Amino acid sequence: MLAPRSALRTSDVVVRGLIVALTLATAYIHSTLGGLLFTLNAVGYVVAAVAVVVPLAIAVRFRWIVRVGLIGYAATAIVAWAVMGPYYTTAYIAKAIEVALIVTLAVDFARHDGNPFGVARRELAAFTALVSRRRSTAGAAV
Amino acid sequence: MKRLTLVLGLLSLAALLAACSGATAADATPTPASSGGASSGSVVVVAKDIAFTTPQITVPAGKAFELTLDNQDGAPHNVAIYTDASASTKVSVGEIFSGPGQKTQSVPALTAGTYFFRCDVHQNMTGTIVAE
Repeated sequence: MLAPRSALRTSDVVVRGLIVALTLATAYIHSTLGGLLFTLNAVGYVVAAVAVVVPLAIAVRFRWIVRVGLIGYAATAIVAWAVMGPYYTTAYIAKAIEVALIVTLAVDFARHDGNPFGVARRELAAFTALVSRRRSTAGAAV
Repeated sequence: MKRLTLVLGLLSLAALLAACSGATAADATPTPASSGGASSGSVVVVAKDIAFTTPQITVPAGKAFELTLDNQDGAPHNVAIYTDASASTKVSVGEIFSGPGQKTQSVPALTAGTYFFRCDVHQNMTGTIVAE
């Protein structure tokens, strides 16, 4: 189900476009490395790039999870590389792109979602309300 | 007389060409890649389909040698030699490069024993070097 059109500012479009470009850039680098692990990593980045912009209602509703998830994904890739290597030019370029991606995602998160603790509180409240509604509906049925 | 000189000249030229071509062939195939041996001071390791086709190499102990990586993949590979499979102590680390292509690295003399090598990019690509 498509989400209703929202009014994105030019700066939003620029930031979102930068996120997609950086994500696809690192996906491309990983896709050239061969081997299952790098290929899966590349596929993961492509899926994330789609999730960042896809106008489906559920994706828009939970875009903050996509942002946090992609930050975690890129951070995991950086930590794994720091531990295992290899340390050569292409790897340094890929990691620089991933650092830039994390920063851009953090900026996007701050612009759209605000304080992460506030988001957590809001989502917890929404979840609690949903559970209460379900319980009251079930009670009425009995 | 002229004819004899011409024949002798042609024979000399043919002998010279044969000698040159023989030397070229010997230089181009320093070691059979399939056996992975280093009888002539150099060894070839082939990387293909994200694997080394020569998982074991035998080299003479106490003698430095040249190791050529023949990277037949589009993906980047190298040959990094370590004292053992923990890969904590480096012996010789070759440059990482994308194929297809070949690069040669100089490996210092190894004391008799078994060594571990791998591709630093794809760490499931491994092999052993036996120095004896």
